Amino acid sequence: MIEIGLGHYLTLGAVIFTIGVIGIFLNRKNIIVILMSIELILLAVNINLVSFSIYLNDLSGQVFTLFILTVAAAEAAIGLAIIVVYYRNSGTIRVEEIDKLKG
Amino acid sequence: MEISIIALPLIASIISGFFGRLIGDRNSEVITSLLVTISAILSALVLYKVIFNQYQDNIIIATWISSGTLDVNWSMKIDSLSAIMLVVVTSVSSLVHIYSIGYMSHDPHKPRFMAYLSLFTFAMLMLVTSDNFIQLFFGWEGVGLCSYFLIGFWFKKDSANTAAIKAFVVNRVGDFGFALGIFLIFYLFGTVNYSEVFELIPTIIDKNLIFLGIEVNALDLVCLLLFVGAMGKSAQILLHTWLPDAMEGPTPVSALIHAATMVTAGVFLVVRCSPIYEYSELALNVITIVGMSTAFFAATVALVQTDIKKIIAYSTCSQLGYMFFATGVGAYNVAMFHLFTHAFFKALLFLGSGSVIHAFKDEQNINSMGGVWKKLPYTYCLMIIGTLALTGFPFFSGFYSKDAIIEFAYLRGNTTGYYAAGIGIVTAFLTSIYSWRLIFKTFHGEYNNKNIKIEETHESPLVMLIPLILLSVGAIFAGFTFKELFIGYGGTSNFWQDSIFFLEPLSTKHPPLWFLFLTPVLVISSIPIAYYFFVKNKNLPHQIANVNKPLYNFLLNKWYFDELYDVLIVNPSKKLGLFLWKFFDIKLIDGFGPDGISALIKKFSIKANKFQSGYIYQYAFVMLLGFSALLTFLIVK
Amino acid sequence: MIAHSIFFYFFSIIAIISAIMVTASKNTVHSVFFLILDFISISCLFIMIGAEFLGMIMLIVYVGAVAVLFLFVVMMLNVAQQQNQWFLSETSSGHIPVGLIISFIIFFELIIVIGGWKYKPDFINPTNISLENNISNTHSLGQVLYTDYIHIFQISGMILLIAMIGAIVLTYRQREGVKKQSYVKQISRERSEGVEVLEVASNKGVKIDD
Repeated sequence: MIEIGLGHYLTLGAVIFTIGVIGIFLNRKNIIVILMSIELILLAVNINLVSFSIYLNDLSGQVFTLFILTVAAAEAAIGLAIIVVYYRNSGTIRVEEIDKLKG
Repeated sequence: MEISIIALPLIASIISGFFGRLIGDRNSEVITSLLVTISAILSALVLYKVIFNQYQDNIIIATWISSGTLDVNWSMKIDSLSAIMLVVVTSVSSLVHIYSIGYMSHDPHKPRFMAYLSLFTFAMLMLVTSDNFIQLFFGWEGVGLCSYFLIGFWFKKDSANTAAIKAFVVNRVGDFGFALGIFLIFYLFGTVNYSEVFELIPTIIDKNLIFLGIEVNALDLVCLLLFVGAMGKSAQILLHTWLPDAMEGPTPVSALIHAATMVTAGVFLVVRCSPIYEYSELALNVITIVGMSTAFFAATVALVQTDIKKIIAYSTCSQLGYMFFATGVGAYNVAMFHLFTHAFFKALLFLGSGSVIHAFKDEQNINSMGGVWKKLPYTYCLMIIGTLALTGFPFFSGFYSKDAIIEFAYLRGNTTGYYAAGIGIVTAFLTSIYSWRLIFKTFHGEYNNKNIKIEETHESPLVMLIPLILLSVGAIFAGFTFKELFIGYGGTSNFWQDSIFFLEPLSTKHPPLWFLFLTPVLVISSIPIAYYFFVKNKNLPHQIANVNKPLYNFLLNKWYFDELYDVLIVNPSKKLGLFLWKFFDIKLIDGFGPDGISALIKKFSIKANKFQSGYIYQYAFVMLLGFSALLTFLIVK
Repeated sequence: MIAHSIFFYFFSIIAIISAIMVTASKNTVHSVFFLILDFISISCLFIMIGAEFLGMIMLIVYVGAVAVLFLFVVMMLNVAQQQNQWFLSETSSGHIPVGLIISFIIFFELIIVIGGWKYKPDFINPTNISLENNISNTHSLGQVLYTDYIHIFQISGMILLIAMIGAIVLTYRQREGVKKQSYVKQISRERSEGVEVLEVASNKGVKIDD
């Protein structure tokens, strides 16, 4: 346990990933929390990639992390824009009241 | 020419049935009666040719089935047996057609009635002129169908409908045995044509089969199965329950079907298959026992019935028993002779009783009649002639045929023969008792009818009396005239030639003289006995009935056969049907089938509907579930 | 090594707790703050492990841009105050235990994959890019990014451009009643539309319709 190896970092990544996944469907508040959980998931992936990169002496992991970062930022922006527009149209972003897709 | 004998009734039936409304009631009556009468005249011509020119022919009209080894043709086989039957069927049928013109004059559905009568005649003619078992079966089923139509002719009456169904269903039971017999014949011989089957019989005398787990002789089995069919059609005991109820139909129907033609189809079958029956001792004994039991049973029941038509119906049942037990002792020609004479006098009795019913304005209970012999003279005379013929009064037709049966039973020599002869004599005595009871209660004594006054009873119109007169001529003279032809001894008549097969020639001896006189004495002495019981001392029968209440009820309720069948067969079948419907049909088949599937689809759709809730987190959750399932699958693999 | 592990545990505990609090806090603004804390701790971890460029970039981009954007939207949409607890609500809370179980299953499977990898170290095939200890992380990243991965770099730039355009397109709305200038209309004005000659009677003014 004292000796930190690759496995510890990967476990940390797994834990944060799971917490992000739980957050998506276990929250009852509003959509923004869902977006934040998605950011957590991406963060967990980043941790995985970077730790692999360091432990295997391979730089491509960090390169890829850069790109993931870029995409995460873009996606957060678009997601928030959608939420703003939706709020304008229906006046609420509480999860229980968003059921326009109900079939 | 022969083909027109069977074609004319069919044409008459089609014209009257489909176009009756177009051409009017009177025209359809006239056309059908005319065509059937022409058919009768032609049949008489054919019989003449057969008797005097030894005419025999097998006219093939068309091929019906030709499949593998099965070759079945529509054909007309003319030989002595079928010629006799042709004359019987067509003459009685034409007289009944003419009679119905008068009897059904108040009925609104005359063309339909005439059409059914002609259709029945056609089916019966197909039956008697066939040269193979399949056309026989076609005619068999055809007469059964027509009897359903005719018994249930007044279909607005509940009792008529149930009686028609009962007749059809009981006949069906017999037909099932008959069909099994035909299948067995095809299985054993590879053909269903009479000539080929009869040739092959001697080759399989010793063959044994396993039937329902029991080993039986093949020929015995064939004969017994065919006889089951005959039992159904001819109302022998155990399958007789339909005959009394069949009196729901109009009286001409009873005269045609249940006196002269349909019920004699069974006898015709046994005589036609005499080549097979001669080789089967067991079947012949069974036939004898069934025949005599029926004769005795029907006579006892007829003693206490009160409906005039039912008495005559039981009388028919009893006489058919005589015919069967004549075939059982090997005297096929005597059976045919009795069939011939019986057709005349029984039709006479039925039509005469129809005349009485018509006079009493549709009253059928003999307790409500009486004392009208002066008012209905013609009917009275004709009924007396019929009764004399039925009971076997010396020199009338029934005397020759019935006494011949009893003689041959005695001459057979074995115990069955003696026993049958004894029962035959007792039954003859009972027959005359109940027949004279009918006459005395209907025409003598006091007038008992509550509904109409005696002045209103009137004789029947001429159109109804002429057939009665013609039939009475037959009833008186047919016996004497045709005796030599049918049962001629020695070489004086070779009438039957190949149509009936005798394994050993019938004995030409005569029974002892005391035996010969026994029956006529009994019959003649029964007249004053009956007069005493039913006219002079009316209370005596009632006292006897009261003393023997159980026996009286036993006879009155027809030996409780109907109740027995109700308990054994009818109610269990109904319960089984109800159970199968409620449980299998509704729960199982509908449950798994249409109703079940539709309900299931509905349930699943409602459940599936919940998936589309509109909530994003639920969609994400489902994605998560799928993802974890996939992951598990990949890891486990 | 001890320091390494102490720091690792410290940062990771903070990361995990703040991740839990992101979903669990009642106030949405608190959730955003915890997210920021999460990002910061993870970037410290990155710096500690040797990928300092990435850690700094995470700080700038994630914390400085994405999380602030979240905060903007939260403030704008006024959803800060939520009164109800997150595990008691009207819609079916029946799938909370099921969800937790499914999540644990995923977690364990991830662990299994890691465990399986640990005992099979010859599982990987590294690319031909290796770390060198002489040059800094930034330098080495730069060497790779603009040469081998140039295409992906450009495309990610496109993605950002598209995201920007998309955000504007989505949220743009026309305002009614705002006066705007359209120079095209101004330049293409004809004399016939602009000037009108009127007959004015003396001592009477001109009516201008507004």
